[in-house]
Amino acid sequence: MIKPKPTIFVILSLTLTPVLFPQQEVYITLKEGVPAIGLALPNFISRSSSAGTREAAAELYQVVSDDLTYSRIFTLLPKKYYDYIRPLDSSNIYFKDWESIQANILFVGEVTESEGENIVFEGKLYDVKGARFISGKRYQASRNLCRLAAHRMADEIVKVLSGEKPIFTSKIVFVSDRDGNDELYMMDYDGQNQTRLTFNTIRDYTPAWSPDGKKIAYTSYKNLNAGLYILDLEAGKVSPVSTRGTNFSPSFSPDGKRLAFCSTMDGNTEIYVANSDGKNTKRLTFNEAIDSSPSWSPTNREITFISDRSGLGQPQVYIMDAEGSNVRRVSFGGTYHDAPAWSPSGDRIVYVSRVENIFDLYLLNLRNNQIVKLTESNARNESPSWSSDGRHIVFTSNLSGLLQLYAIDYDGANLRRLTSQGNNKLPDWSH
Amino acid sequence: MIKKIVILTFVCCLVVIFTANCKPKAKTAPPPPPAKEQPKVEKVDEAPAVKKPAMTEEEIFMSKSLEEINLAAPLKMIFFDYDRYLIRDDAKPVLDANSGWLRKFSSAKILIEGHCDERGTEEYNLALGEKRAKSAFDYLVSLGISPQRIKFISYGKSQSLDNGHTEMAWQRNRRAQFLIIEK
Repeated sequence: MIKPKPTIFVILSLTLTPVLFPQQEVYITLKEGVPAIGLALPNFISRSSSAGTREAAAELYQVVSDDLTYSRIFTLLPKKYYDYIRPLDSSNIYFKDWESIQANILFVGEVTESEGENIVFEGKLYDVKGARFISGKRYQASRNLCRLAAHRMADEIVKVLSGEKPIFTSKIVFVSDRDGNDELYMMDYDGQNQTRLTFNTIRDYTPAWSPDGKKIAYTSYKNLNAGLYILDLEAGKVSPVSTRGTNFSPSFSPDGKRLAFCSTMDGNTEIYVANSDGKNTKRLTFNEAIDSSPSWSPTNREITFISDRSGLGQPQVYIMDAEGSNVRRVSFGGTYHDAPAWSPSGDRIVYVSRVENIFDLYLLNLRNNQIVKLTESNARNESPSWSSDGRHIVFTSNLSGLLQLYAIDYDGANLRRLTSQGNNKLPDWSH
Repeated sequence: MIKKIVILTFVCCLVVIFTANCKPKAKTAPPPPPAKEQPKVEKVDEAPAVKKPAMTEEEIFMSKSLEEINLAAPLKMIFFDYDRYLIRDDAKPVLDANSGWLRKFSSAKILIEGHCDERGTEEYNLALGEKRAKSAFDYLVSLGISPQRIKFISYGKSQSLDNGHTEMAWQRNRRAQFLIIEK
């Protein structure tokens, strides 16, 4: 983990302040990312004349294509290039043809009908230059699970070709008032399949995934008390973590062993950490000021959080060791920062900064202490959460009036809106 | 002895029945002529009204539901400065009046809700709202109200009173509200 030397750090931060505030024109370019790989994705072949299979092939194609485009790992070749070469013959691939249109990788998808409403989706990856088969995968799914089968296939492609943890079957949990009351919902990473998770007339708030995606820690205003609970999605069981005082902003450690959260159980907003089952709670901060919004480093050894200990009503970003010691401030310049989220790669922290009633997201690079403004919207952008590949961030914005969830890439590209019904906020992206 | 008494009474009974049966039947007397006078009309008065003792304020209070009491909002809310949670001077007389009410209805328990405006972030506002509720709590306790009678909670910026985006709306939303939860 990076431990910035305080002196150098302060100097750097001071010189950076003008970058942060008056004019924030610094943008990261993709050059520091993985170079995009040229991927040929010809239409999937339908091995049946039935309209259903053809429709399934088209739907699967669309989802895989959207996923891979979104990944930022691949550049999909323009479809018109395929007209310049011989049509795809899956039994005999002319690799020279594909090389001639600058494909590095070729993906061939085939869809066949199976009994009942089921389809079988087979995908094969080829290395074009090496003229060889890399790997293949076959999924059987009912017609209504086509999207999931496509996401699985896209996950597989990313896993095989980049070795990264893919995000296409990840979920985003959030709070929505679309049914009249703040309840928990979840959706696919692309905004599809929005599903309600809690059904009551009380407010449910600040949800956070466990790393295995099986549990959600959240605040619920049961019995006129904002308690912290864990919802076990498979068992449909809710168990309490802390019901003394106001409890909020839970965050599971990436190894899934511990749960950090804010609580006023001892009279003031402090950060606590419990075992992931909610037992054995220990207090980490001891300060009269507000300490809140914990987020773990990917090493499980540090926690970033905010505190207004340096000035009432002026929260700043801090880092401490997971035991509560070695507290150091990492945000300088600006008067109001909140909701820090540590990137999965460990080198960045995204946080919200308020400047004259506008909230924008900023990225602090822990390697060189550079601060980059990520959003520029004249709105309120807040509650950022990273995707597990560290390339995307989901957040809340009132850009379109009501509060909605948006996703943006780490370099400010690909802003897209994910929700539209009611107000939607406090997203957390599963890993 | 008991046996004797039983036999004796039995014999006596027999004798009585016998003599009664043997008595010559007397002519039944004719029914008395109907009375000429109507019975006096007695006016049925309402039962003398029981004067209920006037209900004390306490009794009126106890007779109402919590919803009715809260609807009348006997405890007034207080307001805070932007990003602050200290009790302002204009909030002190309001809290003094609220403590007077709490002394009068000494069984009542309340919940203080801390609220914030939209110009703070979700997470920090949850902490700030709690600080505001706690400030009101501390003030009431300093006036002698038992801390056992007061709970507090933060709603952050999730429950706006005013959905506007003006300084007036924001001021209305930066508040501590008092809910009666037990009487």
